[in-house]
Amino acid sequence: MGVLELDRVRIAREDWALEYDFQLESGAILTLQGRSGAGKTTLLLLVAGFEAPDSGDIRWQGHSLLPLPVAQRPVSMLFQDHNLFEHISVWRNLGLGMGRQRTRSWEQAVRDGAEALGIGTLLGRMPATLSGGQRQRVALLRTLLRPEPLVLLDEPFVGMDPQTHALAGEWVRARAKAGGKTVLLVTHHAQDRALGDRNRVLGV
Amino acid sequence: MPSSYRGGAGRVLALAGLSGLVAVTGVAFYGLIGFSGQVADPGTLQDPYFYGILGFSLKQAALSAGLSVLLGYPVARALYYLPGLWFRRTFLTLCLLCFVLPTLVLITGLVLLLGHSGRLAPLLGADWNLYGLKGILLAHVFLNLPFVVRALYLQLLHIPDTAWRLALQLGLPALTRWRLVEWPMVRGRLLVLGGFVFVLCFNSFAVVLALGGGPQATTLELAVYQALKYDFNLPEALTLAWVQFAIAGTLFVLLGRLGGSSWLVLEQGGDRVPVPGRWSRLGHGGVYLLCALFLLLPLLVLLPALADIPASLRLAPLLQALLNSFLLALACVIPATLLAWLLLWPQRLAQLQQRPRRRQLLEWLSTHTLAAPAMVLSVGWYVFVLPRLDLAQWGPVLVVLLNLVLTLPFALQQLRPRLLQFDAQYAPLCAGLKLAWPERLALEWRWLGGSLRAAFALVLLLAMGDVAVFALFGNEAWTTLPWLIYRYAATYRMQEAALASLLLLVVCGVLVWLLEQGRDGGA
Repeated sequence: MGVLELDRVRIAREDWALEYDFQLESGAILTLQGRSGAGKTTLLLLVAGFEAPDSGDIRWQGHSLLPLPVAQRPVSMLFQDHNLFEHISVWRNLGLGMGRQRTRSWEQAVRDGAEALGIGTLLGRMPATLSGGQRQRVALLRTLLRPEPLVLLDEPFVGMDPQTHALAGEWVRARAKAGGKTVLLVTHHAQDRALGDRNRVLGV
Repeated sequence: MPSSYRGGAGRVLALAGLSGLVAVTGVAFYGLIGFSGQVADPGTLQDPYFYGILGFSLKQAALSAGLSVLLGYPVARALYYLPGLWFRRTFLTLCLLCFVLPTLVLITGLVLLLGHSGRLAPLLGADWNLYGLKGILLAHVFLNLPFVVRALYLQLLHIPDTAWRLALQLGLPALTRWRLVEWPMVRGRLLVLGGFVFVLCFNSFAVVLALGGGPQATTLELAVYQALKYDFNLPEALTLAWVQFAIAGTLFVLLGRLGGSSWLVLEQGGDRVPVPGRWSRLGHGGVYLLCALFLLLPLLVLLPALADIPASLRLAPLLQALLNSFLLALACVIPATLLAWLLLWPQRLAQLQQRPRRRQLLEWLSTHTLAAPAMVLSVGWYVFVLPRLDLAQWGPVLVVLLNLVLTLPFALQQLRPRLLQFDAQYAPLCAGLKLAWPERLALEWRWLGGSLRAAFALVLLLAMGDVAVFALFGNEAWTTLPWLIYRYAATYRMQEAALASLLLLVVCGVLVWLLEQGRDGGA
């Protein structure tokens, strides 16, 4: 039995309808691909609680997530944009949403992660001075360092050159495995399939 | 994502604040309804005196609004089409200063310039008279035209570059460009601005108090005051206040339907504006120059007062009055700014939950004191507290309270767009990060930055300029600077009035400068 279950989840709007029905084991990484409009982002928003399904159930460890508001779900999500507050530094951005774990060991984890992602020298800067790929890596770092066990990544490698892309991909996989995270990763790069334990193509 | 945002404790607090605000108006009405056995006197409504006042109130407001909009539009165009104008930034700051200028500073300037022995009096002919409709219109246009200029200029900046590019590429002649690109952008705005200025002038007190007079030039607002303060005719005051509120309230509701105003914030943009030809450049330049002259003269005329300071002048009362004004305003500005922040919370929530009707209702409730004329609120409270409290003792508290509710809408207008922008960008992120309250507030505090300073400065300015509330609840023991100016002017001590005005002008100038600075830093 999976730790994350989407049980005949259906969501319909005026001109489209989507259905999801699958399970994912604890600690697994699932990559999601598909045309635009196939419902990749919608799936993440449903799990995170920004959208509500019309029918069906979403369960985490056997308990339905649907009654829970966004802030009470065990989710850490990376959005397609607006992941960083523009008016505070990268370092302060990284410290947000860390709950009670902001200790010395957390600081070390941030520095290590930043080194690994090649953004170690950017921590004191303001987000506006960063390139798209750099911003994305900052957001990625925070998303995976947060304590939540379920990680949702929406196009996390946008704006990165092929080399950085590969590096960041490897880091995500290693970090998720080390932390025992369950990951849904939306991507449109075929090469990212290698990062997943399982792959799904939506809308076929 | 309608249902995914929840209010929490903040919403309860905010609703309590909103109830408090509504209660302030409620008490005023309770007073107006005539609790203490005094009833409104419908007989007043059959008096020709009443119709004279009503007619004049409407006439001067309509003329003021019409003139402000008609004259403001060309100035806004000049600013827009000639980006290289000298002192453009300074001029825009001056516009802001004029809009928030304490009325009595302006009136002193106008009297020194255009009064019986004013500097320009010899040019104006023998039958020129500043007092009456002409003076009131001059003052109202001076105070409101700059506001119209800023708002229309801002509106013009919103014309997308792509529209100009297309129009130029198609080779459209100037008139067609105006009809297709510019006019649709400003058309709706002109009406809203006209309506807004109409309400402001309809409710105007100090200008009419100082420059009006006699039954031919009295407005409802002033008549209410006179009925109360001089004749102590409560029933008449009540009737007039009711009529005043009914008219202003109706207009306010109508205006709300036409669309809100986000007027004080200046933005950058408009790089592709077509370059005007030589003649229209001259025209724009001339309009700009005339407007700058019109705005500067009544202020500059205060300066020579420095040259010969009368021996009778005592500095101590002047400074004491300034300190009183400042302390009263400060006591009002801190709660007003915080309350505005708090009251916006349920509105932002309604916006996030996509409940526009709820948001509109909350918005209307939180800004309704913009419609309630200061005098109506004051009279209501006056009647209410008279048998209950010692005014000599409670006066300052009431002045602060009433100024608080009267300036609150302006603080709201300053903070609202910035916070809505915050939500539009970051609401999912904040929810996703599960930020705790203190963390969230610290984030917003930093985000608001300049807007918070701007709200602070604006409320401070408006509260410092108050005359209407003080006129009812104040007394000589703690007189404010604007009231001191009025007293000097009323006793024809123009030198002293000029100096006091100059002092107030300088303080306001510094505050306006800070306000504009704050905005630059807030990006």
